[in-house]
Amino acid sequence: MDTFPATLLQVAITAPVLIGLILIAGRSLPRSFASGFAFTGFALPALIAPCLLVLWINDATSPLQFRTDGPWGFGFALNGLGAPLLAMTSLIGLAAGIKALTQDVEARNTYLGLILFMLGGTLGVFATDHLIGFYFFHEFALIPTFILTLFWGGEGRRTAAMQMAIYLTAGAMASLAGILIALDAANLSFANATFVNVADSLGTAKNIPAATGALVLFGFGTLASLFPFHSWAAPGYSAAPTPVSMIHAGALKKFGVYGLILLGLSSLNISQGTLGSWFLWLAISNVFIVGLICLTQRDLKQLLSWSSVAHMGPIFLGIWVCGASGKAAGLDAAAFLMVAHGLSCAALFLLANAVRQRAGTYRLDELGGLASRTPVLAAFFIAATMASIGLPGFGNFWGEIGVFLALRAQPLWIQAIVASTVIISAIYALRAVAATFFGPTSAPLTARLETAPCDDINWIERIAASILLGASLTIGFMPSLITKSTNPVSTGVANFSQRTSTAPAAKPAAPVQSLPSAR
Amino acid sequence: MSLIFANIDVAFKALAPRSSDWLSITPEIAVAGLSILCLVQAMLLPAKLRWLISATARAGLVLVMAMALVPHAGWKLAEDVATFAGLLRQNLPCEVRLVFLFSALLTSFVADRFLRDRGAAVADYHHVLLVVTAAFMLLVQSNHFVTFFLALETAAVGLYILVGYLRKSDASLEAGVKYLVAGGLSSALLLMGMVLVYGSLGAVGIADSLNFTQIGNALAAGKGSALTLAGVALILSGAAFKLGAFPFHTWIPDVYQGAPTPTTAFLATASKAAGAFTLLLLVTGPFVALAPKIAPLLAVIAVITLLVGNLAALATTDIKRALALSGVSHAGFILAAITAALAMPSVTAFDYNAEQTIVFYLLAYIIGTFLTTQALASMPAPEDHRRPILALRGLMRRAPILAGALGFGIGSLAGVPPTVGFIAKLLILVLLVKAKLWWILGAALISVAVSIHYYFSILREAVVRPSEDGQELAPLEVSFVARFVIGALAAASILGGLLVLS
Repeated sequence: MDTFPATLLQVAITAPVLIGLILIAGRSLPRSFASGFAFTGFALPALIAPCLLVLWINDATSPLQFRTDGPWGFGFALNGLGAPLLAMTSLIGLAAGIKALTQDVEARNTYLGLILFMLGGTLGVFATDHLIGFYFFHEFALIPTFILTLFWGGEGRRTAAMQMAIYLTAGAMASLAGILIALDAANLSFANATFVNVADSLGTAKNIPAATGALVLFGFGTLASLFPFHSWAAPGYSAAPTPVSMIHAGALKKFGVYGLILLGLSSLNISQGTLGSWFLWLAISNVFIVGLICLTQRDLKQLLSWSSVAHMGPIFLGIWVCGASGKAAGLDAAAFLMVAHGLSCAALFLLANAVRQRAGTYRLDELGGLASRTPVLAAFFIAATMASIGLPGFGNFWGEIGVFLALRAQPLWIQAIVASTVIISAIYALRAVAATFFGPTSAPLTARLETAPCDDINWIERIAASILLGASLTIGFMPSLITKSTNPVSTGVANFSQRTSTAPAAKPAAPVQSLPSAR
Repeated sequence: MSLIFANIDVAFKALAPRSSDWLSITPEIAVAGLSILCLVQAMLLPAKLRWLISATARAGLVLVMAMALVPHAGWKLAEDVATFAGLLRQNLPCEVRLVFLFSALLTSFVADRFLRDRGAAVADYHHVLLVVTAAFMLLVQSNHFVTFFLALETAAVGLYILVGYLRKSDASLEAGVKYLVAGGLSSALLLMGMVLVYGSLGAVGIADSLNFTQIGNALAAGKGSALTLAGVALILSGAAFKLGAFPFHTWIPDVYQGAPTPTTAFLATASKAAGAFTLLLLVTGPFVALAPKIAPLLAVIAVITLLVGNLAALATTDIKRALALSGVSHAGFILAAITAALAMPSVTAFDYNAEQTIVFYLLAYIIGTFLTTQALASMPAPEDHRRPILALRGLMRRAPILAGALGFGIGSLAGVPPTVGFIAKLLILVLLVKAKLWWILGAALISVAVSIHYYFSILREAVVRPSEDGQELAPLEVSFVARFVIGALAAASILGGLLVLS
């Protein structure tokens, strides 16, 4: 009975990968069969992961649940942060999968198979507690991302993919170096390199090289598009096919944040000292400078890509404040925002593509007045925009307000800058809505609509968007779904990150270790 | 030999090989026998049965690889047993034989079709290939500078032939001449170094100052002079030349680009492996007493080699040339591992010591190189030495399996998880962390990040969807053998890493 959820967890991660493998090997499988098969791969995790989240909350006494020990130390297990992120990823994966199934592309089976690979890798990232396994799954998901962008991507795919490859490899190498040095300092063998053990050993280790924290911050930061290593992100998402942008910007990018929390924050104190002030400044730049960049965008998909970078800012700030002042609420809010941002960002990419299918372009000055022709699409898009700027009712609200509250003890100017970004993000997001759906229809669009009249979004697209927005509304109205799961971890991390500032004798237990570990 | 015996009988009894000596080099003898079998078959077999030649060679190589894997066999000696009166000694783990055999086997697979398409003789190629392989296998067991030099020169002469094998191609011949000149220079350095060591140590009463064991003892006793040091430096230069380390890497791009593609792969893998193992053999064997002097030097060379190869490769537009220069930075990785072994002899990465790590790194490098090579060899090219990256355009449509081979191969060479190349790099990075060689670690990580640019640009052209106005190209036929090699190596490139970590 106890092992049943663990088996489900394994199924949720291996099913997309195996089905993807079969689809790639069977390039000539008939279309209808391949569609059904691929849909199974997208739907299975989405059925399982939310249930696992609920199960996790019901028994939040154990820090690590559904553990299985696979070969090579690549066992699966869910911790309090991983459970909600896994559920989010699975829902984004389902919506992205539905979108991918409706697309008519060259070499369709390979396309679907690679997206399934990407999904499986991303799910794996959040379902392992093994440091190297965590790294492994991330790269496993990135490789299909490159191939998908290069072959099925849109304009600028060659440059964007190259830029992304270089940035992400540099980031991955820096974080790998950080991981290796941390393992060395913790004196841990490969098989025991779990987050729990690393945090526990580094708590007592004396000789951690000073550069470790910096490597981890900038390495994982690059992967999570921390300023100034963010410039790969917007072109990369813009050039990728829509399902890939959804999974990458919504879910896969959270790998970097997850690593920052579980390795950087809970083991290496990246929020304190000189490094901490760097982190703070860069996070503020993420909200403010990237916010200003968003204001200048004239292309809907570019704008969404840039705004997804800007929205990482509050997440970083929440993490920072948790480590800097021991406020568990900061990390809770950051985790909440990770989930909520993933859902709203994926929904926006999905709906923006629906706009493009009807108007033939992403350029804002060639759009306009679509609301009268496609009212349902407009309603969905406005709802997703409202979610993304943090309107109450949607999940993002709790995340953003949580971060602001956690920052209350900080100097006024920090609060002022962060608060100003709420206004900035409202300006650019609402302006995009206005330019797309309201006002006069632009001349190019009028000309196009005369030759190719467009319908409102069909029921398949509605279902995909409803999954994401419904999930965002659900956590908006029932925030305890997320906080009950993340709170034990964030409390542990917050206490743990303060250990150097408290008396040395009172060393709290490692965050995710405070209860007996399963190993 | 400067040993003096009372009469010839005593000398014979002391020096004559014992049967166990012969047993210890059975694999080498078998490979040499195979090489002769190739020529015999070429004389006897009718044209219809000519395919048997390469088939026999491959079957033989597989058998010898199986032999090399048998535990506790007579051809695996304990470390302190010297054979043939001190000429040979198995100082390195016996798995090093596998590196050469594996490389030769894959070269044979790639070369067969390649040579027949170009009207070159298959039997002779296999003959020379196997002679070189046997020589390399002996080289890494040598315990005496006479065997060392003989094995090295046998291999070198064979490689001159293989590089200039396509006699109708100017590029191949030019590469052959360049390799001959550069190789001659390195042999001269090596020989000069041996003479200096021989003379300077002989002058202080060392009985056989070409014997590794005796050189090691003499240097440990502090009998070396400045001349000895100069000799050691020259000898190490000769080994660095084979490995392709800075500043002896300048021949590599031209020769690799001009050589026939299968030879390029063999040169890149087996010859580099020979350089790596001889360097390791020398610095941890006879010259180990000089480690405090050699280790900092190797560290500097490793850093420069890592960076120079990758930075130079950034500017190339030719695949073979880019891979040649990337090979230089792979040599840097191997040098880094050797440096770690010198700086901290007990260093291990996940229970693998430095020697095993280097063997594994080379096996991973072979897998990546031959996946790429097989893909190149299966693509039509009017001139073998001109393979512009842009010619890969549309490969994903024309032959997905070749694009896949490039994906796995380049991915493994670049060290992208979860390929075997990543695990190999990871092991070396761990060695560097444990030996606290931070500068080399930094250079290694930077070089990986830099290398992504050219590796990815190769992959990008192969995968990227051609723009709409580009002309459609006909699908490519890929032979069964090529498919088999690609499938097997692609599986190995994923499973190999996991096996090592289990």
